[in-house]
Amino acid sequence: MQIYLWMLAFGIAGCGAREPAIETASDHPPVEVMHWLTSDRDAAALSVLREGLTARGGTWVDAPMPGAGGIGRSAVVSRIVGGNPPDVFQFSLGASLDELADQNLVAQVPPSSPDDVSLSPVVLRAASNAGRQIAIPIVIRGVNWLFYNEAVLRAAEITLPRTWPEFLSAAAKLQASGKIPLALGGQPWQERMLFNTVLLGIGGRDFYRRVYEQLDPAAIRSPTMLRIYETFAELRGYVDQNSPGRRWNQTTNLLVRGEAAFLVMGDWAKSEIIAAGLTPGKEIGCALTPAAQDAYIMMIDGFAFSPTTSPAVSAGQALFAQTLRDPAVHVPLAQEMGAIPANLAVPITGFDRCSAVALQVLQDPRTHLLDSSMNLEAGLAGAIDDAVSRFWNDRTLTPQQGHALLIATMISGG
Amino acid sequence: MQPRAHRLSLNSCATLMLIPGACIALLCFVVFTAWTALISLTDSRLLPNYQIAGWLQYRRLFASDHWWTATGNFVIYTACIVSGCILLGYALALLIDRGVRWGNVYRTIFLLPLSISFVVTGLIWRWLLEPGLGAQHALREAGWTSFTFDWLVRSDRAIYTIAMASIWQHVGVAMLVFLAALRGVDLNVWKIARVDGIPSWRMYVHVITPLLRPVFATAAVLLLCTAIKTFDVVVTLTSGGPGFSSDLPARFVVELMQRQELGMAAAGACLLLAAAAAAIGPYLYIEGRRRRLA
Repeated sequence: MQIYLWMLAFGIAGCGAREPAIETASDHPPVEVMHWLTSDRDAAALSVLREGLTARGGTWVDAPMPGAGGIGRSAVVSRIVGGNPPDVFQFSLGASLDELADQNLVAQVPPSSPDDVSLSPVVLRAASNAGRQIAIPIVIRGVNWLFYNEAVLRAAEITLPRTWPEFLSAAAKLQASGKIPLALGGQPWQERMLFNTVLLGIGGRDFYRRVYEQLDPAAIRSPTMLRIYETFAELRGYVDQNSPGRRWNQTTNLLVRGEAAFLVMGDWAKSEIIAAGLTPGKEIGCALTPAAQDAYIMMIDGFAFSPTTSPAVSAGQALFAQTLRDPAVHVPLAQEMGAIPANLAVPITGFDRCSAVALQVLQDPRTHLLDSSMNLEAGLAGAIDDAVSRFWNDRTLTPQQGHALLIATMISGG
Repeated sequence: MQPRAHRLSLNSCATLMLIPGACIALLCFVVFTAWTALISLTDSRLLPNYQIAGWLQYRRLFASDHWWTATGNFVIYTACIVSGCILLGYALALLIDRGVRWGNVYRTIFLLPLSISFVVTGLIWRWLLEPGLGAQHALREAGWTSFTFDWLVRSDRAIYTIAMASIWQHVGVAMLVFLAALRGVDLNVWKIARVDGIPSWRMYVHVITPLLRPVFATAAVLLLCTAIKTFDVVVTLTSGGPGFSSDLPARFVVELMQRQELGMAAAGACLLLAAAAAAIGPYLYIEGRRRRLA
């Protein structure tokens, strides 16, 4: 079905070109914003940005996308290739946006004002291509979170595990008491996310960077990676039978209802916890996943700008950039979303307990890691998902075989 | 003269009306197919480009575990639904043809699943088959504690649950095709049988079934086309999982698009088209020859 949408997009490329905009810098420049912030909580956050833009005299033209991630990116690309690019669009930072920038389909972000955000070097690098900044990060989402049900842990007399071996022994105890030790939705992206947290916990920050930033064959082949696979294999025994195919919000509800003890999930799980009437950091605790060194795996979307020759459009784009960079806008935006603002130099007030922990950790720039989906080309990232998911779901595969599968995917494949 | 002129203008009117439809068909089925074939020979990823890279995308596809799992599943799935629907559909048609009481009611009941959207079929079966929610849970609650039916979450069995759901949905079509054919059998054949005192079951085995051979071929081709197109049921029932153990090529191709592997997805789509052509080509050839002979 999607194939036909693409074809349609390319088919109308010739005749679908945009009508020339009225070339007067109007007082209320319209800005068409394409985004996938459509869930209740995200929409509330987005209204902060929309109101900010309106207050500055812009006119927000809303263009929501049918879905996040790959689906959303396809929607943007269809518009761009169809000759009708949106003025501003949400996109994942990283390899895919770089490919658009290489084809000159993304403009440099409008020049910054003195009160510009001070971005982390890692984030700025992710938002840049060939020395120019091509996107303004919206918020920093954290991936390596361990959520836990306080009551369940207390009943089983378990303290929060700080290492993966501790986690495994806690899991064994929980299983004996009849609880689901680890709530996991068996979808490839959730399985990969769990794998990456184990990789970080056992290998450490530098190992994570060597694997996902440098694709270092020595690191991928190393005995450390095999140890990671051994731990990952043991986790297979602590997931309930209904895991395959379960969505992340249903999975989070296992934790909320006290049927499961632990959940490894990105910080968006907090919205589900709050929706159930609980407080993250209170009934449902949050900590970074077990690791020797503190680190924060960040997943960042940005707003990117289409190149334009129309003064009205570029006025609107500049206004949008100015709005998004204003701490009075992006800090409440991040707080609404339960995420961390891209500008880390903000006072730690008004955030929930989990976000406060994250802000504390992020003060040290060495903790800044990027999610594997941002560093890698989508094709390779998908192939790694396949390798991890295959190993996770086929219990007859030994850690050695799983490791070999990863080596074949990351080194010889792609 | 007047009527003739009128007829001519009607004719040209019809031609005019057909032109847009013909253009759309031409555009969709020829131009876009050709474009896809072209893209499959390039190194396109996120954006289409026209750098010819030979068979690169096909080689990458063939190097992927996922593709071969999907292809293997496709063979299993197709075999299951073609044989399952034909056997079950023929059996149902025979029963109804024998004049079971309320035959028309049964016919409607077996056809009902066909009117349900594939997405709904997938969801219903997902609820039924999920071990902690559906049949297994219900029977265990009812006291049969050792009952286990967890195929949905087993990587070596999940594809059969998709086949089950599809058979349930499509058996009605097969039944209808056979029922129409059975009703079309010359009544004289039955009269002769009655005169000769041949029992009905022998009539069905030795006379009617061989007579219906072309109908079996038609049903098989219809079901084969359904199998090649299958997408929605996989998405709603298992999303290809656990892992990618129950994936089918059509769904994998769409996932490749989302992975920004345009060239590889195009290569997969071309292979699917080739598979469809290979399945239907011989049938069209035989049909054509028979028509020429007739």
